[in-house]
Amino acid sequence: MIPAISIKGLSVSYDRKTVLANVYMDMEPGQLYGVLGPNGAGKSTLFKAILGLIPSNAGQVLINGEPVDEQRKKMVYIPQKGEIDWQFPATVMDVVLMGRYPFKGIFQRLNKKDKDIAMQALEDMGIANLKNRQIGELSGGQQQRVFIARALCQQADIFLLDEPFVGVDITTEKKIIDILKELGNQGKTILVIHHDLSKVRDYFNKIILLNQWVVAYGDTELTFTEENINRAYRGQLSILHKTALD
Amino acid sequence: MELFDLFSYALGIRALIASVLVGLMCGVLGCFIVLRNMSLMGDALAHAVLPGVVIGFIIAGAAVASAIFMGAVVAGLLSAIFITWLQHNARTKNDAAIGIVFSAMFALGVIGISNVSRNSAHLDLDHFLFGNVLGLSDTDLYLTAGITIYVLLSVALFYRYLFATTFQPVVAETMGIPVSSIHYYLMLLLSFAVVASLQAVGVILVVAMLITPASTALLLSKRLNIVIIISGIIGIISALTGLVISDIYNTPPGPTMVVVATLIYLAAVFFAPQKGLFFKFLYKRKTRRRIQFEDTLKQTLKLHERGNLSFPNLQERLGFNNSTLRQYLSLLSQKGLVNSGKNQLVITEEGIKQATRLVRAHRLWETYMVEEMSMDAGQIHEEAERYEHVLTDDILDELEARLGYPQLDPHGAPIPQNEYQPDNSLSSLPINSTAEIAQQQLNEHLITRLWQLGLGPEEVFVITQSEDNFIEIKMGRELVKVPRTLANKINVVRVGSEAET
Repeated sequence: MIPAISIKGLSVSYDRKTVLANVYMDMEPGQLYGVLGPNGAGKSTLFKAILGLIPSNAGQVLINGEPVDEQRKKMVYIPQKGEIDWQFPATVMDVVLMGRYPFKGIFQRLNKKDKDIAMQALEDMGIANLKNRQIGELSGGQQQRVFIARALCQQADIFLLDEPFVGVDITTEKKIIDILKELGNQGKTILVIHHDLSKVRDYFNKIILLNQWVVAYGDTELTFTEENINRAYRGQLSILHKTALD
Repeated sequence: MELFDLFSYALGIRALIASVLVGLMCGVLGCFIVLRNMSLMGDALAHAVLPGVVIGFIIAGAAVASAIFMGAVVAGLLSAIFITWLQHNARTKNDAAIGIVFSAMFALGVIGISNVSRNSAHLDLDHFLFGNVLGLSDTDLYLTAGITIYVLLSVALFYRYLFATTFQPVVAETMGIPVSSIHYYLMLLLSFAVVASLQAVGVILVVAMLITPASTALLLSKRLNIVIIISGIIGIISALTGLVISDIYNTPPGPTMVVVATLIYLAAVFFAPQKGLFFKFLYKRKTRRRIQFEDTLKQTLKLHERGNLSFPNLQERLGFNNSTLRQYLSLLSQKGLVNSGKNQLVITEEGIKQATRLVRAHRLWETYMVEEMSMDAGQIHEEAERYEHVLTDDILDELEARLGYPQLDPHGAPIPQNEYQPDNSLSSLPINSTAEIAQQQLNEHLITRLWQLGLGPEEVFVITQSEDNFIEIKMGRELVKVPRTLANKINVVRVGSEAET
């Protein structure tokens, strides 16, 4: 089987400071990966490298066995909510329809089919009634649902989510994890940067423990051990986190 | 010059058409400049085209408008590229890089103009600084028209790309949209717009035509396509009105247009629907009235329940004066919530229903404050008086699920219940019976609560214990205690009744 994402010897540095060193990893389709590690471990950098947004010093990323540039439209990225201008004059529908842009040539207009797909995604996320709201008028959980709905419209194979559960209510968190599990069952590959160690076992069947290099990765049951976690967090683990492991 | 005279001259008509075009083009383009936080960049490009104008003039002479135009666009684009390069490669702050480049270019332009002017009188620095809309030639007008059409078509054609790269550049890049090409194309359009506007408003004031109508439009709509249209219209109105006023009062046209645009902006700051200060004031007043209206309804219910509902009793409870209370009562009767006549005051069934909702909100919020926020029961009433008016049905459903469908508030008063009864509730099952959680439940909030307890749909469990305030169930090897009030609302499907323990 061709791995969904294959990383071979990837190294990235900013201003001569190494952020990721010599990463080798293969990620299988149909799996839900939790990407864990302390602050500055290179989690977001790993995402950006997979998405082809930053140059690497060395190494290679293959998506479905091909270079990133040829598989760009197979990937969807959901950035952290903090990076968005919530005052922007866009309604929920405008944002979700963005998910159809990659399918459109420059002279093509969005048509009824695109709108139907967007509407379906809004219904799947339970926010169809909010479609004409300006995005800044929504709660944190509703905002995150909008971006998941847009991701659904992109009909991609690989989903990269950067801390999707931050500032989100519990009902939305459940909704998102349910959708992600369903996407996994459909054979999609999902990577989630995650901070709350207490829910790792429930949410992810695979984990990647990062701290500038790959400390460990594999099945959650085998990999999510106290020893591995201590190695990744190198003593930065709080007592609060430790109790979560029991 | 009288208004009539202005329009009777070809120059005046040219000025009129050019103003409309410039107002429209700057208004449309300005929306993207403002939303990309590039207002300073707009100002910079306007100043930076000056050396290009001078060089175009030296090479081809004043008569060749296209040479001046080309020179200006090249100078503008080079500056944009250089600024972006500095921002990425030198350790200079973004706004400082803009400031350095544009003032340097402007300085070069001014030196160039003063040298040229010594030899000929055709290039007047004042005209570039403040515009010379009445001095437009036919060629200038055609050029302006051509540029306007080009800019508008570009915005229409690339609208989706502009939207995506302005809203979320990183996401746009992952979608395969060429973000930096779009950036430079926008810079090209901006240089075009600036050059076309020079004659109308001048270098120093172009930025106002770009950002003032756009900022006004952003106060008036929440959809980008509508914002662009409104901004274009405001641009046209500002330019036209400015031109006419300048003729009547003999003021310089460019600055007058800018003053008009600013007045429209200020009007929007105060009077824009939703976002305007005046409407915020009105909204506050409306909210206060709604609260008093709801308080009247609630107190009417309370007196009704005690059997002493009357105008004076109600007035005593609410502390309103005669006419205020009459006003609210007549509003209540208009909505069919009470029947109030000369000698009677009765609450209707619908009135009871709506008042009960307020009581429910009040008591649920009190319960929440005590149970989840550990607040003292003595200090929560005032808070709940405020929150009962703002809690939505959705939040009430969530509160109720989170609290496990409580029956009594912290003061021991009954909380009006959600009347839903499941077909088959968990609490109705006898001990030792086997069942599973049904797919159909009251609402999403209840499902989430179940999920937090580790209970998913179609998971089989056995009832192991049934007490007054909780029911214990065994699922796999895990024991879960479910509060009885919550169990009353959980819909289950019976699987069997054989004892397994």
